[in-house]
Amino acid sequence: MECKLVPSVCSYCGTGCGVLFEVINNRIVGTLPMKTHPVNEGKLCIKGWNLHEHVNSILRLKQPLVKTFGRFMKTDWDEAIRLTADRFKEIIAEHGPDSIGVLVSAKMTNEENYLAQKFARAVIGTNNVDHCARL
Amino acid sequence: MIDKIKFWLEEGKIDVFLGYREVENHPLPWCFTRERLEEVDDLVAGPARYSLEKIATHMAEEDPDIRIGMLARDCSQRALNVLYVWNQLKREQISTMDVNCCPSRLKEHPDCSYLEPAGVGSYKKEVGIDNNLSLEDVDRYGPEEGLHRWMYEFQKCIKCYGCRNICPVCFCRECSLDNEELVRAGPLIPDIPVFHLVRAVHMAGRCIDCGLCEDACPMDIPLRLLYQKVSRIVLKLFDYKTGTNADQPPFSILGERVTLEPKPIQPASGA
Repeated sequence: MECKLVPSVCSYCGTGCGVLFEVINNRIVGTLPMKTHPVNEGKLCIKGWNLHEHVNSILRLKQPLVKTFGRFMKTDWDEAIRLTADRFKEIIAEHGPDSIGVLVSAKMTNEENYLAQKFARAVIGTNNVDHCARL
Repeated sequence: MIDKIKFWLEEGKIDVFLGYREVENHPLPWCFTRERLEEVDDLVAGPARYSLEKIATHMAEEDPDIRIGMLARDCSQRALNVLYVWNQLKREQISTMDVNCCPSRLKEHPDCSYLEPAGVGSYKKEVGIDNNLSLEDVDRYGPEEGLHRWMYEFQKCIKCYGCRNICPVCFCRECSLDNEELVRAGPLIPDIPVFHLVRAVHMAGRCIDCGLCEDACPMDIPLRLLYQKVSRIVLKLFDYKTGTNADQPPFSILGERVTLEPKPIQPASGA
């Protein structure tokens, strides 16, 4: 029997509550608030309490899907990224870079958010960048 | 204590030991094993308090015959007794290493496992219920004022279900708080006072007054007082003090047979 309590930070919003994942036999079975964490002091909201559920959900997407003729088809990352890049190029050529907006997320790290705005400004060429925490 | 735990693990009295270990300055629950015996040297007993017995029930769900040792404060002992009564753990599979209740100014109070009492703001004192009051103080408000004060506390609820989720003696597979007819999914504030009273009623003969629910409540609702009131009624009606021993609770007079499903519970499909 392997049982570990793994400290982590809740990824649902930008608050940064400390959580503990209860891992039994390499499966996350529960989430607990971290009592000594300075941010949440042993408390969590309903989303934090249920963090483990989306990890184990059978509905969880584990690979990219591409919508082809109205249906989602499984594909690999190379193919999905190539297709997206091609479509972006088409859209930018036809409607200009400001026809695209980038919405980033509190579920990502600061570094990832930085990369996303860099992608929007330097690659796509638009200042349309926003963050879900500002909605 | 450390030598004794090592001895238990080595001689095979227990398979795992649940205690605490400092990880990056945070005392976290830790599962000590025979294979990593040297970790036992880092064992700490406090000051944080988690429901180790709840972790133990989760382990017993995976492996019903596992023998578990654990640090146990007074509240853990009471929780374990309730879990034995309700077939969630077997008495012979648990070995406890008794430790003092949490360090606190209230330590002389035998039932208390609270950390330092939290400060309460003046507005809450005026319109709500001070978490540090005694049951007698709250009763003195009378029914009408009492209801107003309790409703003030209840309407703060953000329905995080933390009180249920952290509770060492909440283990039902189907929870009334998930019942759409009692508590609708969605609306916030939740249906009050139904939400809190349903939980209070279900705590009768279950609540071991550990205070973890109040500790986990982001809105500081005095849940412990609420469940103490229920326990007081149970004591008066049935002369039963929850968690003091592992005998059947008074509610078993309702039927001869235990209708709760015994362990092991099959893991959900798709796991």
